[in-house]
Amino acid sequence: MSLKKDPSRIFLQAILIVFFSLIIGVVYNSISKEGITVKGNWSKKVVSDSLIVPYSYTKDDPPAISLGQAMTYFQTHSTIFLDARLEPDYKAGHIPKALNLPFEEFEQYYSKVEPFLSKDKNIITYCDGTECESSLFLARLLKTKGFNNLKIFFGGWTEWNKAGLPVQKSN
Amino acid sequence: MRELIGNKWLVVLFRLIVGITFLYASLDKIAHPDQFARIVYNYKILPGFFINIFAITLPWIELFCGLFLILGLLVESSSLLISLLLISFIIALSLNFLRGVDIACGCFTTDPNAKKEGAQLLIRDFVLLLMSLQILFFNRDFLSLQKIFQKK
Repeated sequence: MSLKKDPSRIFLQAILIVFFSLIIGVVYNSISKEGITVKGNWSKKVVSDSLIVPYSYTKDDPPAISLGQAMTYFQTHSTIFLDARLEPDYKAGHIPKALNLPFEEFEQYYSKVEPFLSKDKNIITYCDGTECESSLFLARLLKTKGFNNLKIFFGGWTEWNKAGLPVQKSN
Repeated sequence: MRELIGNKWLVVLFRLIVGITFLYASLDKIAHPDQFARIVYNYKILPGFFINIFAITLPWIELFCGLFLILGLLVESSSLLISLLLISFIIALSLNFLRGVDIACGCFTTDPNAKKEGAQLLIRDFVLLLMSLQILFFNRDFLSLQKIFQKK
């Protein structure tokens, strides 16, 4: 097994192909209707002092709430927490009284959860933490179903658990 | 055995398979850079500032290397690049595969079908990598444009 050609020449040509692709890519991107910004902003957005939200969160989405606000809502009877994670994660530990409505298996679970939901109550969605987006996608989906008092707790299970707040496990 | 692996017809066959695969794979990514950038972001491997430029450049590398392999131009450098890309895809897929199981936060799907798909992707990339390495080491410019240019 041996290269028939000069390895340094192969490397140089490979670098040139990459460079050429970069130029063509950037030029095509700048003239294409589908073009994107060359320097993307994929860092997490900070919407207020303590609130970090995923990149895909927009101002048209239901409001994001902090851990402190989530704790306050937790004390009121007119609030329902929805856990957007999959059932095994939910069972391993969740915010007390939260209902499990996995975004990825929405159709399957929605009929079970729907009777407990009410348009008058505050509905707070959460998932694992700011690294996940299923709380956001779940809230968007519920918005299309006509729920208006939606809020998203992006800190999610990670922040809640870290803060040493009450947790519940299901078997 | 060695003659069998290094067979010039086998090189041509692999050039066509790998070339067409990469050419085909590049088209949708070039057409939808936003969606591709989103996928790159979801791998959570590259730093934020690097994601878009990567999503803009990578499909073109795939397109040119694919095209070059089919035509038989710059075959060694194209198969070298494709091999490097495949190695990084395999690493990225494996990392994600492991993390998806570990984190299970509802952002990476944990459904069993997706896992199977992940394994299939890994096998496919591995087979392509073997073909690409065979091209890199055994190419003798048989049935290639390179040879025509060199004769002139």
